[in-house]
Amino acid sequence: MSDYVTTLTIYGGIAAVFAIVIFAVYNLLSTRKDIVSEMASKEGYDSDNQFIRDSLLTKPRELTLSIFLNDDAKSIGLRYIVTSILFFFIGGAFGLTMRLSLTGPNLTFLTGDEYNVLISQHAVLMIYMWAVGSALGFGYYLLPSHLKVYRDIRGLFSSIGYWLWLLGGFLVLLAQSSPRWYFYPPLSLQLNPNGGGLYDWLAVLGIEIVLVGLMITCITILLIVMRDRSPEVKRDQFSLFTWSIIFTALMILVSAPPLMVGFTMLFYDFFNPVFFTASSGSVLLFTILFWFWGHPVVYVAIIPYFGLIYEIIPKFTGQKIFSYKSGVFGLGLLLILSEVVWGHHLFNSGLGFAWVLFFSTTSFLVVIPSAVTVFNYIATLWSSDKIRLTTPMLFVINGIVDFIIGGVIGVMQSAYPVNADVHGTYFVTGHFHFIFLGITTGISFAAFYMLFPTISGGRTYNVPLARLHFYFTAVGSLIMSSSWIVGGALGMPRATAGYFSFFLPYQLGSILGGFIVGIGQIFFLWNMAASWLKSPSVDNQNLLESPNPIVTVVPKGEME
Amino acid sequence: MSDKKGRNLELYFMIGVLVVLLGSAAANYVEIAANPGSIPTENAIPPAGSYVVRVFATQWAWSFEYPNNTTSVGSLTVPVDTNVSLVVTSIAGAQQSAVIHDLLIPQMDIQIYAVPGQNNTVTFEPTVVGSYYFECVEYCGEYHYEMRGYMEVVSR
Ligand code: HEM
Ligand SMILES: [Cu+2]
Ligand SMILES: [Cu+2]
Repeated sequence: MSDYVTTLTIYGGIAAVFAIVIFAVYNLLSTRKDIVSEMASKEGYDSDNQFIRDSLLTKPRELTLSIFLNDDAKSIGLRYIVTSILFFFIGGAFGLTMRLSLTGPNLTFLTGDEYNVLISQHAVLMIYMWAVGSALGFGYYLLPSHLKVYRDIRGLFSSIGYWLWLLGGFLVLLAQSSPRWYFYPPLSLQLNPNGGGLYDWLAVLGIEIVLVGLMITCITILLIVMRDRSPEVKRDQFSLFTWSIIFTALMILVSAPPLMVGFTMLFYDFFNPVFFTASSGSVLLFTILFWFWGHPVVYVAIIPYFGLIYEIIPKFTGQKIFSYKSGVFGLGLLLILSEVVWGHHLFNSGLGFAWVLFFSTTSFLVVIPSAVTVFNYIATLWSSDKIRLTTPMLFVINGIVDFIIGGVIGVMQSAYPVNADVHGTYFVTGHFHFIFLGITTGISFAAFYMLFPTISGGRTYNVPLARLHFYFTAVGSLIMSSSWIVGGALGMPRATAGYFSFFLPYQLGSILGGFIVGIGQIFFLWNMAASWLKSPSVDNQNLLESPNPIVTVVPKGEME
Repeated sequence: MSDKKGRNLELYFMIGVLVVLLGSAAANYVEIAANPGSIPTENAIPPAGSYVVRVFATQWAWSFEYPNNTTSVGSLTVPVDTNVSLVVTSIAGAQQSAVIHDLLIPQMDIQIYAVPGQNNTVTFEPTVVGSYYFECVEYCGEYHYEMRGYMEVVSR
């Protein structure tokens, strides 16, 4: 009897606290809504949201909880930025856990199944939630300023896009499935922990929701560019970052639908396996649908960030970009060629000579736009009188170097004789981690540091801590990815919870590197906490939105 | 740097890049055209006179069936200085349905997917007697990492 009373008291207490919190939040929200409504109607607005959007139009936005209530473009941008950083830390923690579990050639503290859940989640979160999310965030945040938009009317769709993306990400996390980020059937149809995971269907649903969100978002972004920009911003005056976001949106719109159809069929297969099964003879069809999207989506991790680099370099060199035309051309060609190389992920699957020849040749061609872009950066840096080595600039230079390494490795594995040796090994892992850490992650942080005075309402970040963040990330990633490249060249298989013991040195190297990267991120958190606690000391402008460098917003120690 | 000088430099740089790329593409073509049997191909007929091993991938083991109808599980034995053809497919194992696997023999530069409902063929010629490691490199579930072993190349 007394047990019953205790239980009742505990759960009743929790429920009561919960109810009080909900009521408080509701009260706060409805009070806010009343105030906003009153102000809006005074100004002659029917819609509260439109009133908010108009009053915030292109003004600097600070990072407060209100970004989740307001749906102006910059609030949406900040939502994506903070959410994607959150997922970066979740995905990163999964990555470090995997590294730690690989300290020995046999299973250590993770079962094979747990390892497989982590690797699946790490990849999905880093690609869909970090690389894509961060790109959309900077797009939403910067485009209104770059395009001097004269109206902000698409908040509803932008917000729907955001919430779908977030919901999808949560469903994937909840599903704890282990189909890897490929979701290849029939494995992903095996709804048990040894196969795709008990709730793999939930992960498929989650990604489908993410993709629906992305479609809505990309259409919205294109509409903002086409319809809402100031008439004075002509097409040949678009910033290179604007172009990069346009191309990214187009790429997503073109590439996602085939996989959305594929995922719908896969979902049906969970109940009645008819599409991607051995008896229907079309197991490989899914892999083709997947890579038709899978290759372009990894370019989402590069094109917008290439655009950001174009914006960052002039701020710290005082030099115009060497060639605007080559810049647009390079980014645009990257989009087009990204659609025709997907077969290089399936060289060994039985497609045979003609397919291999076609896709290895197109993969060589994809280097042309990359080379144009890298040349453009280097020529700009080369011709500037002085390069100010601020933290964002260090991230940029390191990113360019990492991209060159990763790119050259990419070309190497596009040659069939090399690919037959390294496909499915850590060589490939090394290839894209050079790019994901150097460009995607590095440039995201570079841009984040540059926005810091605005989003923190006039504070500056701590320079020594930012430097430590940079050096640990750069050096750690170099050690980690190089170890993978060497091990992979010897045939060290990726995505395995255990390995031949002679691969141990390369595993240990990458574990060391991985933990250095991890420590670097602690400096970032520390920096954010310490800097936010200080009181505002500069104006709330930032370098990415203003046409000219404003010296006052750069923290002491970053200039000279 | 002056605009014109920069333009010229860009041109030379791009020509250089193109030369390297076209060179790589040509080398790639020559390599694979000279040895198309090294590319896994669906339903390809093994070359006449080759030593044909039927390979079955399951969750989670490799089994091999030799020309003399003997079989082995987890390790493979092939004769030296002979064309060896692997005909690879995937069949259901512990999990009731067949999934995709991928057999990699790094020191032989050979890699071939095991796809359910499909027979892929690849041909290579081991020239040195010895022991070579192989492994599954297409993720296939819980015990994926255990699908590894050694290929013995023995004298005839
Ligand atoms: C410079 C041009 C590039 C070339 C020629 C190239 C080539 C390749 C090739 C051939 C593969 C297949 C490797 C295999 O599994 O056998 C691959 C995989 C991959 N690439 Fe690239 N790549 C390039 C740039 C990029 C960029 C910019 C990214 C963006 C981050 C990227 C991300 C990836 C990823 C994530 C994979 C592995 C996918 C997976 O199997 O999980 N690559 N690349
Ligand atoms: Cu690709
Ligand atoms: Cu496997």
